[in-house]
Amino acid sequence: MKDRMDGSRGQISLSAGVPTGRLAPVRRARGAIFVAAYLVLTYGIAQSSLNLQALALVAAVFSILAISLDLVAGMLGLYSLGQGGFFAIGAYLTTIVAAQYEVSVFWLLPAVLVVTGVSGALIGAMSLRVSGLYFAITTFVFTLVLTVLATDLSITGGLQGLLGPAFPDFPDSLAPLGTPVAWCVMLALLVAIALVWNIRRSPFYPVLLAIRDAEPFAEAAGVRTAVIKVGVFGLSAAMAGAAGWLFSFLGVVSPGQFDWAVSLNILVMVLVGGINTTLGPIVGAMFVTMFPAVVNIDPWLQEILYGALSIFAITMFPEGVVGLAKRRLAALLKPMARETAAAETPMAAPQVARTVEADGAPIVECRGIEFGYGVGPKVLRNVDLVVRRGHIHGLIGPNGSGKSTLANIIAGRLRPQAGNVLIKGVPVTGQAPSERARLGMRRTFQAAQLVRELPTSRNVMVGLYNGVPRIVRRAPVWPLLPSGHRDAASMLARAEQALRAVGAGNWVDARVGDVPHGIEQLTQLASVRVAGPEIIVLDEPATGLSMSEVDHLARLLGQLKAQGVTMIIIEHQTRFLFPLCDQVTVLNAGEVILTSTAEAVRADPTVRQIYLGEG
Amino acid sequence: MLQFVLSGLAIGAIYGLMGMALAISFYVTRVINFAQGQMMMVAIMIVSALTAADISPWLSVLIGLVCACVVAVLSYVLAVRPILAFDRFSFGWLVSTLGFAVVVENAAAYVWGPTSRAFPPILNDISVPIGDSVLTAQQLLAIGAAIVLTAAFELIRKRTLFGKLGMAIAADPEMASAIGANTTAVAIVAFALSGLFAGVAGVLIGPSTFANPYLGDTFGTYGFIAMMIGGGTEKPAAAMFGGLLLGVLAEGANATINSQASDWFPFLVLVVILIVSPRGLFSSGSALLRLRPARLAPGRPVAG
Repeated sequence: MKDRMDGSRGQISLSAGVPTGRLAPVRRARGAIFVAAYLVLTYGIAQSSLNLQALALVAAVFSILAISLDLVAGMLGLYSLGQGGFFAIGAYLTTIVAAQYEVSVFWLLPAVLVVTGVSGALIGAMSLRVSGLYFAITTFVFTLVLTVLATDLSITGGLQGLLGPAFPDFPDSLAPLGTPVAWCVMLALLVAIALVWNIRRSPFYPVLLAIRDAEPFAEAAGVRTAVIKVGVFGLSAAMAGAAGWLFSFLGVVSPGQFDWAVSLNILVMVLVGGINTTLGPIVGAMFVTMFPAVVNIDPWLQEILYGALSIFAITMFPEGVVGLAKRRLAALLKPMARETAAAETPMAAPQVARTVEADGAPIVECRGIEFGYGVGPKVLRNVDLVVRRGHIHGLIGPNGSGKSTLANIIAGRLRPQAGNVLIKGVPVTGQAPSERARLGMRRTFQAAQLVRELPTSRNVMVGLYNGVPRIVRRAPVWPLLPSGHRDAASMLARAEQALRAVGAGNWVDARVGDVPHGIEQLTQLASVRVAGPEIIVLDEPATGLSMSEVDHLARLLGQLKAQGVTMIIIEHQTRFLFPLCDQVTVLNAGEVILTSTAEAVRADPTVRQIYLGEG
Repeated sequence: MLQFVLSGLAIGAIYGLMGMALAISFYVTRVINFAQGQMMMVAIMIVSALTAADISPWLSVLIGLVCACVVAVLSYVLAVRPILAFDRFSFGWLVSTLGFAVVVENAAAYVWGPTSRAFPPILNDISVPIGDSVLTAQQLLAIGAAIVLTAAFELIRKRTLFGKLGMAIAADPEMASAIGANTTAVAIVAFALSGLFAGVAGVLIGPSTFANPYLGDTFGTYGFIAMMIGGGTEKPAAAMFGGLLLGVLAEGANATINSQASDWFPFLVLVVILIVSPRGLFSSGSALLRLRPARLAPGRPVAG
């Protein structure tokens, strides 16, 4: 813990010393004021009476728990009911080891972090087979089991529990600061707040939301979503474990403090306070933990009031108290926020378009692809397809002919039952979409997969994921790094430039949920284009676009082709598609009918019969 | 051997009824009602209070069941509907149903006091020898009631328009209301049914547990385990099989391991089953029942 405390102070002073653009002094001053106020508050708590201190410290420990849950529930959509379990592991591990061996409690913190982090990653990996509610239920069962173990094992002291270790005293020089454990808990909470605050301000944040709301999009942008989910879940578990470590110093550790109701209550804190906000979990934790002490009436009436209040809060403010406040505040501050955002963005050099010779060598190959969805006839039978570098390759066929299935196989979303896919001569069959993104392949979706609550520019930034070194590891300290501001600014500039390049320059600050369908499609295209891919798979890009938008799209694709990008386009609108294509493949009932030039396809009698419906 | 199987089935029927109660409301609204155990408790407390006031046990039972249904419908109107109306996929119902449970439980403790009260024996005084084992008529009644209610529910679900509406709403509420289904009415009936199942479970187990305002949590948890073991989230009747299995295994553990084993054994079973088949033993996605393994990459494929 000492390391962590020192580390956090060091980082904060570091951030204060870094010149970060024009607004740096303002940001620095705001950060310094916050930290100073927080330290004064901590000093006050450390000096206060034991009762008040106990109340504040329990609230702080639960705030850490709520923040750890919000990290996975708010940013990744994984509603874990396992936090109470990791909390219990941290507390019991500390108490038992400290009682049995002569170890400094500070040495136990890294052990707790590792044990809970690893078990979190394991539980996460196991639970990720199921999603949504089932994820909550599996993690819930984990907590149930741990509670039962804690009650029935002899080493945990059964229902009575164990007395936690004493927290070491300050050296004499620091004694005037007050109670050491108060400082330790409050500084740990500060670290937790800083951690999620930093992640929210890093370019990793849109990536996390993309995993939550539009996983195929994130995967296609090169994000190994499963690894990140497991990793973040492990981090969250380690935070809950650290909260358990802190909790063991506050008194007795017994099963009742970690039972399933506690895990549920942590989720209640997050939801009541406001999910996916930095302050919400803390407000929720304070409400839940302090309510019994503040409202001092008949215990049953008090519980009834608590239940009624929580129903009232969640039905009146479904986004949580802080969520609501934030929205109201955002509406008030909108014009101001825009100005600052604009002022913060330095202009970066425009992206240099790569010109690659169309050399005509095969870049994507499908050999003998077979695929079927569980029952029923095969959707694809022995499909061979060769796409040459620099070509626009059209893929047409009637509904149900297997076009989108083939696109999903090429992009890695589906795995063929037989046959091989090669990209640039490398067999990629069975590899995830994120691996293909590394080989320079990107794709768009028929129904745009984007994060609706984020601006278009942030969505486009997700496309740059592979281009930013160590984005994941830097995320927890991002705003404190000198390189962080530079990289974030250049990513934003590139994203905005990509949006301008596709003609959506007026929409860079608009949330995807608020833009028209055509802009959504262009945002998708920008998010693909911004990475400078060699191959783009477009799944029905013209669906739902107006005539002028289709013309605009055709021009954009023509520009991309001029830059040497290979494209595979699935489309129904042949009037839009044929003039663009070098080659067209016609699919019917899962088989390739013909691969040839647009003119030859148009003239072919079989194609006219099956596809254009002529007799 | 026969003894613990039979008494396991009897207690399992109670778990199964609770599991089905949870599953029925989950089925229509995709909400796990954390106040489910409280409906059972309400039925028990009402019956206990009424018989204490010299009202005939059978009439008290009837009133108790009606009260359980009323509490269930209240939980829908106050705690579930406002949440789903805002966002069908939010987890806010967790807060509100939990809050509702807290209110009901503490209101009962406030009115009737936290200690156990007498409950009419109903059929608990009659012993029925079966082979060399003995059951009470109450236990037989529990098994019988479980069979009848499960069969009746399945008949309603599969054979009536109401049941089919329930299935349609479970699959896609927006679509169902677009074709004219009154989703609110169906949900209210489903919650009332879930209250009835919980109330029946309460009346059946009351003679052995007596009336205590804190019973709800325990049986709610066991009902939840029954639902998860069986796979009741997809098919409510599967929760009954889960409950019967749970009851027999718990009694078996008590008889063969030690008298405390039923405290932890069900959880062990649950973990093993969830590892083998995350959606429950009798669910359609169960690894044990799956004949044709689908070879899809994770995520929903976009049909071409």
